[in-house]
Amino acid sequence: MKQNLTEQERVTIREGIREKYSRVAASGTACCFQYFTGEVGIRQQQYPPELIRDFPQPIVDSFCGVGNPFNLGPLYTGEAVLAIGCGNGFDTLVAAKMVGPQGRVVGLDMTLEMIHQARANLAPLGLENVTFQEGEAEALPFPDNEFDVVISNGVFNLTLDKEKALREAHRVLKAGGRLMLADMVLVQDLPPETAGKAENWYQ
Amino acid sequence: MLKVGFHRAGLAGYTGFKSSAYTEGALFYGEKLVDAKARESIEAQAKILVEPKKEGFCEPGST
Repeated sequence: MKQNLTEQERVTIREGIREKYSRVAASGTACCFQYFTGEVGIRQQQYPPELIRDFPQPIVDSFCGVGNPFNLGPLYTGEAVLAIGCGNGFDTLVAAKMVGPQGRVVGLDMTLEMIHQARANLAPLGLENVTFQEGEAEALPFPDNEFDVVISNGVFNLTLDKEKALREAHRVLKAGGRLMLADMVLVQDLPPETAGKAENWYQ
Repeated sequence: MLKVGFHRAGLAGYTGFKSSAYTEGALFYGEKLVDAKARESIEAQAKILVEPKKEGFCEPGST
């Protein structure tokens, strides 16, 4: 991807990402992804069935992650967790089950429609250790040393300033805290005719 | 990740997820140091994936 973006490109990309995920919140994942989502994606990424057994179908159908951050290690009872780019809340709700009522999980997303959908997904589960709020990875609205774990799934590739986003994740973690990310990486160069296009960020 | 201060940080493995011929899903792990000292005596939680799990994963458009 092009490294030095103009301000106009930044605006275009940010709005393109926001618009795409607003459509996902409204219409579901089938509108916008060429890869497996929902129940097939969950099975492929080996999420523990016992943790999602009581998830209503709309929550299952809304999964569109690129991996399973929990494959990097367990969450422990009582921990405080931040899910950056929580989307419809699937990983946030899984984390809430893992940390139990003595823990807490905050789901953060820059797309308001996703926050609304996540809150709707939370309602039937009756979990009281979860909140969702609007915000951006490059400017996390939390104090220093707040969380035991930061998770994210397919989000950091969408941030315009990855170093800033990682620095923010580091800031809000407690000493000894863990960052557990699933994300997309380029495994070979894009063809010249497509490389450098702003649309690559959100198509 | 190392640049911003994470310890024991880096690519832990691939998820087997592919959205295109150019991109692949990956797992990254990092720790924030305790008291600015390396936690050499504590076993890292990240399970390093030597081989990405390919079985059961499908390319987009396949069954």
